[in-house]
Amino acid sequence: MKKSKKPKIQYSRSEVLSGYAFCALWLVGFMAFTLYPIIQTFIFSFNDVTVQEGAFNLSNVGFSHYVQALSQDADFLQGLEDYAIKLILYVPVITVVSLILAMLLNSKLKGTGFFRTVFFLPVIITSGPVMSIFIDQGVASFPGIEKLINFDSLAGTVPAFLLEALRFLTSEFIMILWFSGIQILVFMTGLQKMDKNMYEAAQIDGASKWEMFWKLTLPALNPTIVLNVVFTVVMQSVFSLNPIITRITGYMNGDGGYGYASATAWIYFIVMIALLGLAVLVFKKHERRVRR
Amino acid sequence: MASFQGKKINPKHFHISQLKFYIILLPFAVFMVLPIIYIFTTAFKPADELFKFPPSFFVKNPTWDNYKALFELMAGSSVPASRYLFNSVIVTVLTVIISIFLAVSAGYVLSKKNFKGRNVLFEINTLALMFVPIAVSIPRFIIIVNLGLVDRFIANILPIIAMPIGVFLLKQFVDQIPDPLIEAAKMDGAGEWTILFKVIIPMVRPALATVAILSFQSAWGNVEASTLYLNNESLKTFAYYITTFSSSSSSTVTQGITAASALIMFLPNLIIFICMQSKVMDTMAHSGIK
Repeated sequence: MKKSKKPKIQYSRSEVLSGYAFCALWLVGFMAFTLYPIIQTFIFSFNDVTVQEGAFNLSNVGFSHYVQALSQDADFLQGLEDYAIKLILYVPVITVVSLILAMLLNSKLKGTGFFRTVFFLPVIITSGPVMSIFIDQGVASFPGIEKLINFDSLAGTVPAFLLEALRFLTSEFIMILWFSGIQILVFMTGLQKMDKNMYEAAQIDGASKWEMFWKLTLPALNPTIVLNVVFTVVMQSVFSLNPIITRITGYMNGDGGYGYASATAWIYFIVMIALLGLAVLVFKKHERRVRR
Repeated sequence: MASFQGKKINPKHFHISQLKFYIILLPFAVFMVLPIIYIFTTAFKPADELFKFPPSFFVKNPTWDNYKALFELMAGSSVPASRYLFNSVIVTVLTVIISIFLAVSAGYVLSKKNFKGRNVLFEINTLALMFVPIAVSIPRFIIIVNLGLVDRFIANILPIIAMPIGVFLLKQFVDQIPDPLIEAAKMDGAGEWTILFKVIIPMVRPALATVAILSFQSAWGNVEASTLYLNNESLKTFAYYITTFSSSSSSTVTQGITAASALIMFLPNLIIFICMQSKVMDTMAHSGIK
């Protein structure tokens, strides 16, 4: 009866229904195997967990795991600090490198098809099991590159932290390239969806390519950039060979107990979210400035 | 540089002015391919080359010894290797199909429908994406036990079909599909399923292929289920079977076997990737979204 009176409400209700219906299956799986376990670890983090014949015994210890991790566990704190520094260096570099590569790959060159395939290739390595073999054997670092640039000669002229950052980036360069696969793909899709008429209009107005890049391409790509930043932070953070993850795995397998592992996992998670929020804030701010 | 495509003044064939692009792209491309070559060469290295430090990149005396040792071990196992392989194929195929379907339907409604809790759901998904994956393995185990899935084949599939990363990527891609397109489909009398299959899926194919690759990898390389939830050997997967070798035999042989099995585990990834990537690249070129 409502149908004839207020078709609009009816429409949105069907929208709501189909919304839930389409999500439902995914939601069930997600709740059961991702969300609920995460909540469970939160509970565990306040308890000492012992396993006895397949059952778990919890004994409440309050915040002591957190206190211990934040005040006594020097290795863990050091790991967190390293992680934060690494992320702050990685994210901008990966974003910029993948944007540049995406633009190169998007230009009409002979053989771009081949290059596109090659640049997307590392996706299957970084998420695969063979990555650890590479890192063990030193394939991921490029031995010559550090000798290429004489860092010590720069020591007097640039600040020390900048020098450290440079040194780090050159030694990790291959890793950075390997982690850019999906970001390049996402940027390429973004670039291809640009309105070509806009460039023509800009050209008629006498804009140079440089100006077109800053005034047209970059603002239009902003959502894509934010997406890539989030994706990079996430991929780096849950990468299974990430030192903190290895450490937490160590805690889990006896060395500290499952409760303690849960607490450290949550601390790590919170640090990660803080960094992610920071990254998004930086890039969102840029968006606002451009729009004005 | 991006403006190049707009003006259509690019030469169709190689021109000397393009050389600068190649000069930049080629070295990068080499670094990208190196690891793949390395996987192949390592698998055929004899023992003395495997232990050389620093490791050499190319193999000097290629040998099948690693594979001989691997197949000998396989022949000696109680459950035939083909059984593990069969399990893995079933698990992988089902996981890829189901996870893509769930991710695209959830991605579609999370992006294009207005309903209560939509944004909250997506935010939770994004946050869950970031949680330390290893830390949830024990609560997951409890759930598997409570659902009575221990030693059931489905325990291989169920925990990994709801892929937060898939929903995340697909939602972002569906966001870029203009609403008028969906409204036009609705005007023409398309139902929700028709929209999903005829409008959304064709347009997000690059993202689908990416999600397919990621979900293939997580399913194919997954050892969590076999190690934790399954006791019955005949239900376990090939990835698990392979990992048992690297821990069970003597150390000199182990290195070779690990290298050989790494190649075996890696090859399907490469094949899937090569099949999928043409889809990724093709549809990106003419995705019809302006």
